[in-house]
Amino acid sequence: MKRAASIVLAAVLVIGVGVAIYLGNSGSGAQKSRTDLSIVKGVIGSEKAAFFNDQRVQDAFAQHGLKVEVDTAGSRQIATSVDLDKYDFAFPSSTPAAEKIQRERKITQTYAPFYSPMVIASFRPIVDVLARQGVAKKDADGTWTFDMAAYLELAKKGTRWDQLPGNTTYPVRKNVLVRTTDPRNSNSAAMYLAITSHVLNGDAVVQGSADAQKVLPLVSRLFLEQGYTATTSEQPFDDYLSLGMGNTPLLFLYEAQFVDRAIRDDGSITADMVLMYPSPSVLSKHTVVPLNDKGSQVGKLLVEDPQLQELAATSGFRTTRPAQFAQVVKDHKVLVRTNVVDLIDPPTYETLERLLAAIGRTYEAKGAGPAPKDEELR
Amino acid sequence: MRWWGARVGRGRRVFVAGILAVSALLGAACSTSEEKNVSTGPGKAGELRVLAGSELADLEPILTEAAKKTGVTVRFTFAGTLDGVQQVIDGTTRDRYDAIWFSSNRYLSLHPESAGKTATETKVMTSPVVLGLAASKAKELGWSSGAQVTWADVAEAAGAGKFTYGMTNPASSNSGFSALVGVAAALAGTGAALEQPDVDKVAPQLEKFFSAQKLTAGSSGWLSDAYAERSTGKQSGTKVDGIVNYESVLLSLNASGRLPEPLTLIYPSDGVVTADYPLTLLSSATDQVAEGYRALVGYLRSPDVQREIMVRTHRRPAIPQVKVDKAFGPASLVELPFPAKLGVADGLINTYFDKLRRPARTIYVLDVSGSMSGDRIESLRNALVKLTGADDTVAGKFQRFHGREEVTLLPFSSSPESPQTFTVPEKSPDTALADIRAAAMALESGGGTAVYDSVLQAYDQLKSESQGDYATSIVLMTDGENTTGSRLDGFKQAHSTFPPRLRQIPIFTILFGEGSTDEMNQLATLTGGRSFDAREGSLESAFQEIRGYQ
Repeated sequence: MKRAASIVLAAVLVIGVGVAIYLGNSGSGAQKSRTDLSIVKGVIGSEKAAFFNDQRVQDAFAQHGLKVEVDTAGSRQIATSVDLDKYDFAFPSSTPAAEKIQRERKITQTYAPFYSPMVIASFRPIVDVLARQGVAKKDADGTWTFDMAAYLELAKKGTRWDQLPGNTTYPVRKNVLVRTTDPRNSNSAAMYLAITSHVLNGDAVVQGSADAQKVLPLVSRLFLEQGYTATTSEQPFDDYLSLGMGNTPLLFLYEAQFVDRAIRDDGSITADMVLMYPSPSVLSKHTVVPLNDKGSQVGKLLVEDPQLQELAATSGFRTTRPAQFAQVVKDHKVLVRTNVVDLIDPPTYETLERLLAAIGRTYEAKGAGPAPKDEELR
Repeated sequence: MRWWGARVGRGRRVFVAGILAVSALLGAACSTSEEKNVSTGPGKAGELRVLAGSELADLEPILTEAAKKTGVTVRFTFAGTLDGVQQVIDGTTRDRYDAIWFSSNRYLSLHPESAGKTATETKVMTSPVVLGLAASKAKELGWSSGAQVTWADVAEAAGAGKFTYGMTNPASSNSGFSALVGVAAALAGTGAALEQPDVDKVAPQLEKFFSAQKLTAGSSGWLSDAYAERSTGKQSGTKVDGIVNYESVLLSLNASGRLPEPLTLIYPSDGVVTADYPLTLLSSATDQVAEGYRALVGYLRSPDVQREIMVRTHRRPAIPQVKVDKAFGPASLVELPFPAKLGVADGLINTYFDKLRRPARTIYVLDVSGSMSGDRIESLRNALVKLTGADDTVAGKFQRFHGREEVTLLPFSSSPESPQTFTVPEKSPDTALADIRAAAMALESGGGTAVYDSVLQAYDQLKSESQGDYATSIVLMTDGENTTGSRLDGFKQAHSTFPPRLRQIPIFTILFGEGSTDEMNQLATLTGGRSFDAREGSLESAFQEIRGYQ
C-alpha cells in the first residue's frame, strides 16, 4: 500500500515540463503518505531538471524513503550567489563549480554519477552552410564535427551569415555566433570558454596571465556580441526547440539535453535538427556536493543504485557503464558519437574564474570595446 | 504592459479609462482590487503572489482553471516592468510577492543587483514585437503578407512620410522598448549586440523611423484600443496607419472584429525582439510556495494548456510539442540581439528621448486655487520636481523632462495666470531643469477655480506657437469643480470650432480631490486623451504615468 501510495505521490511531485501533474492530486492516500517520505532539497543545474522531474526517478528515490525536491540555477550561481543553507545538496554541472563549494564548505566527499560531453545543436540547412565553409564536417559514423578553429576564424572577422559565400538558405544579417548561456553565472558558458580559450591559446590549456591576455579579446567578444544571454542552459534550449532556426541557429549545450529530448520522442526533436561535436570538446562532470547526511544519501544513491544509473542513461547522460548509454541511444535511434575522444581539460578553477571575471567586467563597461585591459587581469 | 508606475502596494491603483473601457483595463482594475486580499509576510501554500505586467490579466480564465487543477491560486499585483525591476533589486518584493511575471527578464538581468534575487524562471509563452499596418496601407507599400521587408525599408518609408504609426513609450512599456532595441539593432546591422557608438551612428535612420510615430502611449493595451476606436472614428484623436505592438495584441485586434479593415502583420526579415513571459520564482519564496510554483508551471506548460493559451491569447506556445497555429506569422523568426550592457540599454532609451523621437510639447494646466493649499499644493510641487530629474529610481530616471522638450506651466485659480515656458536643451539640460524646479516650488495656492477658461488659454498659446514637429498635449490637474468663467459646454463648443491641428491635441486629465470625475472623463474622451486617477494613488505617480503618453 505504501508503495502504491508512493507512486501516486511521485505523480504529485513531478515538476517539470509538459506533465499533467494534476493526475495525482486526487485521493487522500497521496496526501497522507507525504509524511512518510523524508524530504531532501537540492539545487541543481537546469539541464538535470528533466531527470529529477521524471516520475520514475522520483519513484526510485521514494523506494529509499526519499522525496527529492529541486530548484534549478546556473551552476556558477550555485557556486556563488545561491543561499545553500536552504538545501541538502548542490548538484552543479562541472567539477570546478563543485570544487569551489566543496572547498568553501569543507566537504570531503562528492559524487560524480554521470557526465555529458558539450555539443552544438543546429539545423540541417545551417550545417550545410557551415560544411561549405569547412566548419562542419561529417564523420564516417554519420555524426558531425564542429571545427572550433575554423569557426573562431569566422568569429574573429565578425562574419555575418549573409556574408558567407553561396549562403542562400540562411542569409541573416547577424554574426555567425554560437549561442551560449551567461558566462557570469552558468556552467555551460564556462565550458565554452574552456574550449575556445584552449584553441585560441594554440591548443593548450590557458595558464597564467600571459595566456589569458592572449585569448581574452576574442573570447570576450564571443559572449558580448551575443547580447543578452540566459542564466540556465534550459532556456536557450527551449528557444532552440520551440522558436527554431531563426531564433537559435547554433547552440552550445550538454549532449544529455538533446539526447533526453530525443529519447522522450515527444515531437520536439525534428528531422532537421543536427547534433555536432566540437573539436575539441570538453566533458561536463555532474557532481553532487552533499551539504548534510541527507544530501550524501542522494549522492550515494545516484552513483550506486542500478535503477537510478539506468534512468540517468535514459535521461541522456553517459554513466559509468558505457553500454547503458549505447543501448539507450540505439533503442531510440539517436545519432550520437559513441566515443568522444577529442577532449580537452578545462583550465584550473582559479584560471577559469579569473577569465570569467575579466569577461564579466566587460559587461559593465560602457564603451564599445569589450577587450579588457592588462591590469584587469591582475 | 507599462514599465513603471505607482508602487501598487502602497495604494490601490485604479485606471479610469478616458476612452471606452476595454478588456485589458477591466482586467487590470478588477485584479488590482483583488490585491486587497493579498497577504504580507512569508508566502503560504496554495497561493502564489505575483508582481506582474498588466497584460497578463488576459490569463485569468486559464489561471482560474489552474487553481482548480493544481490547488495554487495566483494573486496578481500589476506594475510596470521598470517598477518591477526596482522592487526586485531593492528587495521590497520580500514578504509581499513570491514571484514576478513580466514580458521579459532581460532588462532586469542587466542590473548586477538582481543577482541572487530570483530563483527559477520558466517561460510560459512568447510573442514577438512587430509592425501591424492597415491592410490597404500595407498593400499600397507593397508589404502584403509574404513580402520581404526589412527594418531599413520600414525606416525609409517612415522617413518619407508614407505611413504613420503608434508605439508605446520605451520607458513605460516593454513593447516600445523591444521595438526600439529591434529597430536599432537591425539598422546598425553590425550582426552583434548593440554598443553605444552603433546607436550614435544609426541615429539619422532611427530619427526617420520615429518621425512617423504620431501616437505614443504608456501601455500596449491602451494603444491597441486607441487604434481600434480611432480607426472606426469612435474616438477622437490622431489617427495612424498602424501600430507597433506584440503579435498577440495585433492578432487579437484582427480577431476582435473591431477594425474596419484587418491589420497586415509585418515581420521584418532582419529580425524581431520577442517577449517570452518567464514566470520567475523569487529567492525569498518559502518552500511550500516553491512547491506550488513548480506545480503551476508544470500545469501551464502542459500541451493542452499551452494550446489553450495560444487560442485564447494569441501568444505562441513555449514548448516544442505544441506547434504554432497557421494564423501566426512565420514559425521561426530571427531574433535580434538584446544589449548585453545596462549602459547601452539605458543609453539607447536616453537617445530615443533626447534625440530620436519627436520632442514633446506639453502645457501643464495646474489648479492652484484655495482648496489646493497645504498638502495638496505641496504634493503638486513635488510631482513636478520629480520630473526634473529628482527621481533616480530605475523607472523614475527616464520620466524626467528630456532634451528638446518644451514644458509650459500654466497655473490657474480664478483666472489663468501667466504661463511660463521652458525648453530643455538636447545637451546640458540641467539649467532648464533647475528653472522648472524653481517655478514648481514657487507655485502658491489661493482663489477660485476657472478650469475651462484656463484650458482655453492653453489652446490659445498652442495656436500661436511655432508649429514645429512636436508631440503636443495638455495635462489638466484640478482638485475641485469649475467655479468661474466658461463651463464644459462652452468649452466643447469652442473646441468644435478649432482647426484640426488643435482638435487633435489630447488632454490628459488627473482626477484629484473633489474634481468632477465626469467632466474630466468627458474632456479626455473628447480630445483623445486619457484620465488618470490620483485620488487613491498620488499626484506624483499620475504625473509620471502621463509621461508615457506625452
